[in-house]
Amino acid sequence: MSTAERLPRESLLWIFAAQLAALLPQFSRLPLWIPIAWALAVYWRFQVYRGRWDLPGRWIKLLAVVLALGGLLLSFRHWFSLAPMVALLAVSFTLKNLELFNRRDAFLSLLLSYFVAATLFVFEQSIPYAIYGCLCVVVITAGLAAQLGSHSAAPRRALGLSLRLLAQAVPLMLLLFVVLPRLGPLWAVPQSSGGASTGISDSMSPGDFTDLSRSDEPTLRIAFDGPVPPPEQRYWRGLVYEHFDGRRWSLANHRYSGGPHWQLPPARPLPEVGPRYRYRVIQEPTNSRWLFAMARPNSNTEGVEEMPDDRLLRRAPVYSRFAYEVRSWPRESLAAGPPLSLRARRRNLQLPDGVNPRTRAWVRNLRRRGLDAQQMSAALLDFFHRDFTYTLKPPALGADSVDDFLFDTRQGFCEHFAGAYVFAMRAAGVPARVVAGYQGGEWVAQEKYLLVRQYDAHAWAEIWTPARGWQRVDPTAAVSPERIRDGLESAAADEFMQDSLLPLHRISILNRLRLQWDMINYRWYSTVISFDSDKQQSLLQRLLGEVSALRMALLLAVPAALALLGILAWMWFSGRGARAPRSSRLYRKFCRRLARAGLQRRSGEAPRDFCRRVCVERPQLAPAVRAITAAFERAAYGGDAAAEKQLRLLLRRFWPLRAAAAR
Amino acid sequence: MAGTRAAFAALGGRWRELTERWLQRRAPAARRVTLDHSRLFILPTRAGLAFLMVVIILWLLGTNYENNLVFALTFLLVSLFAVLPVHTFANLSGLQLRLCEVRPVFAGDYAEALLRVGRPGNRIRERIEIFWPPEQGAWLDLVDRGEEEVRVALPVVRRGRVRAPRLRVQSRFPLGLFRCWSRVDLDVEFLVYPQPKSAGPLPLGAATADGESVQKRAGGDDFAGLATYRPGDSPRHLAWKQYAGGRDLYSKRYESGVDTRLWLDWDLLAGRDVETRLCNLCHWALQAEREQSAYGLRLPGTVIQPALGPDHLRRVLTALALFPIHAPAGGDR
Repeated sequence: MSTAERLPRESLLWIFAAQLAALLPQFSRLPLWIPIAWALAVYWRFQVYRGRWDLPGRWIKLLAVVLALGGLLLSFRHWFSLAPMVALLAVSFTLKNLELFNRRDAFLSLLLSYFVAATLFVFEQSIPYAIYGCLCVVVITAGLAAQLGSHSAAPRRALGLSLRLLAQAVPLMLLLFVVLPRLGPLWAVPQSSGGASTGISDSMSPGDFTDLSRSDEPTLRIAFDGPVPPPEQRYWRGLVYEHFDGRRWSLANHRYSGGPHWQLPPARPLPEVGPRYRYRVIQEPTNSRWLFAMARPNSNTEGVEEMPDDRLLRRAPVYSRFAYEVRSWPRESLAAGPPLSLRARRRNLQLPDGVNPRTRAWVRNLRRRGLDAQQMSAALLDFFHRDFTYTLKPPALGADSVDDFLFDTRQGFCEHFAGAYVFAMRAAGVPARVVAGYQGGEWVAQEKYLLVRQYDAHAWAEIWTPARGWQRVDPTAAVSPERIRDGLESAAADEFMQDSLLPLHRISILNRLRLQWDMINYRWYSTVISFDSDKQQSLLQRLLGEVSALRMALLLAVPAALALLGILAWMWFSGRGARAPRSSRLYRKFCRRLARAGLQRRSGEAPRDFCRRVCVERPQLAPAVRAITAAFERAAYGGDAAAEKQLRLLLRRFWPLRAAAAR
Repeated sequence: MAGTRAAFAALGGRWRELTERWLQRRAPAARRVTLDHSRLFILPTRAGLAFLMVVIILWLLGTNYENNLVFALTFLLVSLFAVLPVHTFANLSGLQLRLCEVRPVFAGDYAEALLRVGRPGNRIRERIEIFWPPEQGAWLDLVDRGEEEVRVALPVVRRGRVRAPRLRVQSRFPLGLFRCWSRVDLDVEFLVYPQPKSAGPLPLGAATADGESVQKRAGGDDFAGLATYRPGDSPRHLAWKQYAGGRDLYSKRYESGVDTRLWLDWDLLAGRDVETRLCNLCHWALQAEREQSAYGLRLPGTVIQPALGPDHLRRVLTALALFPIHAPAGGDR
């Protein structure tokens, strides 16, 4: 009977509100027809609610189902991911709205709303979204309260109930959040693929980094445990481009590159000396697997592997904000590694045939002068330093891009310098590669972390020499040392963020506010979002001293016991009901005293009967008992206040046990 | 198959019997009952179980995406679920129920009990449902007033004194995820009159005489004496014997002992079964009362002298209602 109950009218609007709250932020991710269909269904149901329209007939409903299914089939190619699921839920909301009658439909709709509200967090975990999520939960819970109807369906009452219940739930939630173990993914989940990856991509062609320089989105937040590297050492390596096809640099096509068939690299022994830098990186979602760290990194965060080319790779792509611990040993602090394998050597000397003939000729010329690798590099950098300009608006390049850049335009951004440098070095027979990542970052003094934004994206080079192994060379530094020392903003002051709608970065108070906001975000990310089992462990350790089964049990049991005690006490006090009136309490006292003297009042025995019996059994008590009974009857049934007072006075002198002892 | 079903039915019956007996000990019948923790039971509803399902799915979502906000939401919902029973329980706890009035009713109709529900403190009580399962009952809110009257109806099919089953007082406040209920025996007993069933027009003058207070009427079978002949008397009634004896012409007078008052008599309906007779008598009584003609009732073992008025009607109907079920069906009194 409970399931077939009709839905109270008032609660319908609450259900729509809950659906809207849960779906609203998803609308941008859904195909346009879904929000429209939803709005139509709501409008129809609303007209039914107002008594203007009829509910749709069977055929219209069937048509709606067919159209919705067809729409879903056309809109989505990949079914096993979160976006189609949300779309499916939104569509089922829509269809259900057309036949929303009874309470079970309402429950279903509201419970699904909770789920849709939760999927929002898979896409976004920032503070505004978290706040919005709280709002959603409040509205949905109010909807649940309202579907009972009558008094609870009044908006203020429903919202108030919802807020009160949720507020009471928060302490337990916090406890569970801190204490309940995180298991780690149980199976590979469909990720929110399809979203274009932001930031550095797996290939680099001229102009890519210029695009990145227009974005001031934060991408890394790095907190150091111990020394902080100086600005010119802050090279956050993410990708190593080893393959050049004449125009674009891309990841080498070998098995450690992070392709789909990824294998674990052979373990490299860790250096014997301790690491120089220890830090924790919180990385924004990139939808790809590479992580960012200084050379040579090592991480013991779950799911993070170290690559032979000194970078970190995650087992699963970073679809949501991800934090990892890194230890870094700068290369100059390490002994030279083993010689370059033949394969690696070939890879790092690879050049496409026939492109950039002028550069090749120029390099051959230099080689003829008998320069070794270091001298070669120095000559190139010198060339850059003398004749080149660092600009955010490099002119377009032709088919032989390196030739055009080196000998014609001579204006470029980091990727031009790095690409040209590596091309030239390879042409000279020196193993070289392009490294992409971020360079620099803004030091946030209050919170002591380094904020790296998209416009810190940078490309530089690495060359290999037998004596020193791989070493970093940054051709951009030769042209514009400010870029490395002070960041892009000072290096390209006039051009920096010129394309943005408003030159907001010029207003210092806004900059400060933005930094403040980022600090709050950092706190949020580092304490809440990246709260994983390691942090859980350390927090529990801080709270408990040591994490043992006994202490855990105590941590759980003490609040539980307190809560139970509270509930019991509350039940005790509220379950007793109203207190008995004073006269009854006094009479009960009288009965107790008689009972002690051996005269038990039988259950159900009327006061007058009891009095008669006592008079027969203990004649010496008779006058007092008669007086007391009479006073009680007058007080209890006659409402006589004076009698109550008299009863109290009489009781004060009524001690049957003492009287018996005195005798 | 049928065997197992029968076995299950037997088990179910046994279970009901056991719970009934247990409840009898734990919450005995009383006209005034305060709901406390010994009488209240609480369990999640089906919607509550669905809510838990959603929580589990959310936990899987959070675990697989390693998403702390999803975790936080999951734990918030779990905690909400943990907080709810306290509120649901509090909504009913301390409620005082009192039976005020029970009206007699005809079989086949709804018997109504008037209850008075009060709360001890000032806490708002919402959405309380009082009913006799599986019937729909009354909904009740105690918001501004501390006491409300509700009427709860129970369909009755059998005449006589019907003891009502335990009332169910339940509430799913605040979110409908938990149901708190109590099975209260308010000692409700209905007096159920037989269902009125028409048996033709009122049996005016149909009842046979019964000795005292009878009005005689001319005609009939009983010889009443002789009277001098008057022209027009039926020749069949002439007293030929006396005439032949040399006396005047007399004609024989006959009369019958007829009660002119209206008697609703058990014997008038001979040939029908007991319950039908009672139903017919009930209908006659109502009709007579409506037509304002005094009526009496004759049942095996009971005679109610003719009279009128609501009290009389009640007496008559009560007699009909309480007529023993296994009564002698014959006309003998």
